[in-house]
Amino acid sequence: MNSRRNFLKQMSGAALAVGAAPSFLSSAFAGQSRSIDIPGEDDMIVRSFRFVDLETPVEYFNTWLTPVPHFFVRNHMHEPSELDPGTWQLTVGGEVEKPFTLNLSELSKLEVHSVVNTLECAGNGRSMHRPQVPGIQWGKGAVSTARFSGPRLRDVLQRAAVKPAGKHVMFRGLDEVPGKVPPFIRSIPIEKALDADTLVATHMNGTPLTKHHGFPARALVPGWIGAASCKWLTDIKVLDSEFVGNFMSPGYRFPNQPGKPGEVVKPEDTHPLTALSVKSVISGPLDGATLRSGKVSVHGAAWAGEADIVKVEISTDGGTSWKAAALGHEQSHYAWRLWSYDWKARSGDYTILSRATDSQGRTQPSTPVWNPSGYLYNAADQVKIHVA
Amino acid sequence: MSHSAVKSFALTSLLALATSLSAQEQKPQIIEGLQNPPPVRFPDDLPPGPMRGKATTSCQECHEARIILQQRLSKAAWTKEVDKMIKWGAVVDASDHDALIDYLSTNFSPDQPRYEPPRTSSEKASGKNSEKKTAK
Repeated sequence: MNSRRNFLKQMSGAALAVGAAPSFLSSAFAGQSRSIDIPGEDDMIVRSFRFVDLETPVEYFNTWLTPVPHFFVRNHMHEPSELDPGTWQLTVGGEVEKPFTLNLSELSKLEVHSVVNTLECAGNGRSMHRPQVPGIQWGKGAVSTARFSGPRLRDVLQRAAVKPAGKHVMFRGLDEVPGKVPPFIRSIPIEKALDADTLVATHMNGTPLTKHHGFPARALVPGWIGAASCKWLTDIKVLDSEFVGNFMSPGYRFPNQPGKPGEVVKPEDTHPLTALSVKSVISGPLDGATLRSGKVSVHGAAWAGEADIVKVEISTDGGTSWKAAALGHEQSHYAWRLWSYDWKARSGDYTILSRATDSQGRTQPSTPVWNPSGYLYNAADQVKIHVA
Repeated sequence: MSHSAVKSFALTSLLALATSLSAQEQKPQIIEGLQNPPPVRFPDDLPPGPMRGKATTSCQECHEARIILQQRLSKAAWTKEVDKMIKWGAVVDASDHDALIDYLSTNFSPDQPRYEPPRTSSEKASGKNSEKKTAK
């Protein structure tokens, strides 16, 4: 640890003197902000820029629909280097009677359906698991909400006439795979694929998808982990069984019986991740904030995958007592609810907690459910603040 | 830690132990040091060491250094990651394998301060800054 600190000291002059360092590197040493320019992405936390993984800062959980420049971005691979809407095609095949190919103009002629969906990466909150687990170290913001629009996947599949043998639907996109990394291919069960709200989305909040969000078309599997909603979609294949590949197993699986933190879990004791858990996040006051005493609005968002939020409770005394927060009026089945709680704050140091309960009777646990890949972190949220 | 602080800590620990299990289950675990104090700012490149050059070549062919800088893993976990990446095409000479794992597990172990990532540029920088000042 000390060697790193010394390195920092030693390098603080050297890096600036070299002049070859990227602009964000030298500014980091100078103690200034070290922002990175990614066009169309506004004030996002850069977990990685090659490949692109951007987290929404929680202070932007203040609108029901997340503006696209603040919508989190998760990529497993490199984004397609070329995307030509003129030559883009969507192929539908596998266990179907009438395989076919659509171009973008043909796709846009299908009936459009819209779904407001809270999309969350399965690994959101991974950095808060102890012991720490490998993967993108998401804080609280690998989650956002948008109105997604496009044809229903069901309409596309019906045109192809799925054979009785068709039990799963596989998606593949144009992600560029480095080295010998397994391609990002996953499948969903046919029941979810035929659900009226599962889309081949082409628009987000009323505008065409941006490149980071899967232009020109992506799968949108509402209420499920983000990885189900394949971007830059080009292949839909109906299979007779779940797709076999790295991102179905060992990737994106959860222990059947979560064990003790750090415990090894056998692959046969796991199942594929599907719907999201019940969860709430405090978007204000921000962690570490110092506030004036008086009326303080504690606010945030809560979501529950395929279930509805029925209650959000707030504790200002570290979990001893809980009071109900007011739920925002904007709601839709797969979307988060904004919530707020008016608190009369007196001087002191506080840990403020939030916990949500959903229509399936699930409540956020008080301690995280540890698992080897750090998926579905949903412990009651907390921020520590000082009231002056 | 002063003597009184140690005493007070011991007393707090005893009190915590005395609390019933059910109460502990109901009460959320307050996570200390997760968000506070603020993390140390690190450079956005791999730290010096005998394996820095080789780690750069082997790992950054496919992804940037930040993917490594943000991990805080045990030696066993780093071994698993390095072996997975070799399977996925990372070129690591057999003679460098153990030294690479040592380099990663020394510099990016669980006891290191959290890495603070940068942000993308803000389209309304002035608004953002004033918001932050109010919040802090």
